[in-house]
Amino acid sequence: MTIARVALAVVLVLAVAVLVATTGLDRAFAHKEKHTPEQLKAFEDILIEQVKLGDLLFHGDGATEKKMGAQLSKTGMACAMCHPFSSDTHPHEFPKFQEQMNKFATLRDMINWCIEKPNEGIKLAEDSDAMKALEAYIIWSNRGAKLDPGRH
Amino acid sequence: MDPLLNERREMARTLNGPEVTPDRSMTVTRRTFIHKSLITAGITAGATTYGWLPLINTIDLAFGQTAFKFAWLSDTHLYPKDVNTRFVEKAVRAVKEIQAMNPPADFLIFGGDLAQLGDPVELDLGADILKEVKIRKVFIPGEHDWYFDMGAKWERLFGKQPWTFDHKGVRFVGLDTVSRGPDYWTAKKMTPKERMGHMATLDGSVAGAWAGVGRDQMQWLQTTLGSWPKDRPVVIFTHNPLYEYYPPWNFWVRDWREVHEVLKGYTKVTNIHGHTHQVLYNEIGTMRSIGMLATSWPWPYAPEGVPALTKCHLRVDPGDHYDGVGWSQLTQSAAGRIEAEYMMWRKKEHIIGEAAVDSGCGDNVNQPLSPRLVDREWTYSGGHK
Repeated sequence: MTIARVALAVVLVLAVAVLVATTGLDRAFAHKEKHTPEQLKAFEDILIEQVKLGDLLFHGDGATEKKMGAQLSKTGMACAMCHPFSSDTHPHEFPKFQEQMNKFATLRDMINWCIEKPNEGIKLAEDSDAMKALEAYIIWSNRGAKLDPGRH
Repeated sequence: MDPLLNERREMARTLNGPEVTPDRSMTVTRRTFIHKSLITAGITAGATTYGWLPLINTIDLAFGQTAFKFAWLSDTHLYPKDVNTRFVEKAVRAVKEIQAMNPPADFLIFGGDLAQLGDPVELDLGADILKEVKIRKVFIPGEHDWYFDMGAKWERLFGKQPWTFDHKGVRFVGLDTVSRGPDYWTAKKMTPKERMGHMATLDGSVAGAWAGVGRDQMQWLQTTLGSWPKDRPVVIFTHNPLYEYYPPWNFWVRDWREVHEVLKGYTKVTNIHGHTHQVLYNEIGTMRSIGMLATSWPWPYAPEGVPALTKCHLRVDPGDHYDGVGWSQLTQSAAGRIEAEYMMWRKKEHIIGEAAVDSGCGDNVNQPLSPRLVDREWTYSGGHK
């Protein structure tokens, strides 16, 4: 080890020591308050609520479509008829170049393409509640998949 | 360990012991034919005329003594015409092509799921479309045909199952693998439409393991085969595959073990099935199993359990509703070989996905899918409008 590297290491150790001494260990690296179990449960509940809404939309539930102002299909086809368990949706592979659209596409682009083309429905606004719910269901169903953007 | 993997290993241990295979005198070859044109001439037997429709993954099986052919059509999933004309168009097209076969097929087997929601209107529509086929027709039901009125309309239109007949040296058997589902509706006082809605949702869990042959049909099968020499060919038509592929989607029958007990010793058994809407081939014990296409839409290959013997078809273009679907023609040549041919409507060449990136199975990596949550909650009642 060179003298310069030793000097650098000493400086770093001193800097950390000063930081700990002035702020306290428990706060030195904390950027927010600890979550309470109630908060975590509330966060989870919000996610699952969206997953369930998305599941209903994905499986062609007419009442949910109506409630959310969406018309995802005019052919009787539902997303799940080609994607049981949300299979072959591959949310972890977006963004990627998508041949059907001839463009670099996000998952939301792909959802809208499926609504408009195979299902002959009305495409969703990208930030609509229905779009977020569909995205939640698709990603939740594929959770644990390794991120692999661009894969074909 | 993955419980499904355990099941499959058990299946292999139970049925694929040393020396246990389908009779090797039934040679199997697979070829991919190149589509030449979309001319609408009639089909005649022989490789030179395959060009009128694209064909895929031809499997030759040798059995029987006399040349003949038959056609398979299934999984039309018809809605009433005012909801969806797309499925109607494709069913009509398949029926016209079957009727145009020249020389004509000896018979047509309709393999179930004529209707989408078991609605009598849908079943009547299907019966009308099938009237255009003038050759002999035999039928087995799918779950979509059954659970609106528990098969009442189906049986009025198409008769009862099981059935059997002998034709040119082959014993044909038609089984019902759909009507013996567990009663999930009575306790919850479901309407017929709600009951059907659960059954019509492939990835729902409420209807449970509904696919099965049942003890009564098994006894019938044992009796029926009892008078048939064990080295002579048997073809069993079922809606669901007679092995375990992917139970969460009922890509199986739950009592496959018992079925194979009955079939033990019969060395030339071929199971031809629908329901899975995809190219499939498997050998289990002494039985070969061939999955047929739908005319309506292709299911993706399941995320696990695709038989290693299956050569998967190309990933399907979701923007083209004529892609990945069709019907099947099974031809026996004078040399005593049967060719099971998938009559696909779109792919023109290189139909089998050889590279993982192109294959419907190769697409299945990195998909740790989760069962759904919402369908466990009453009063959710499946995917129907």
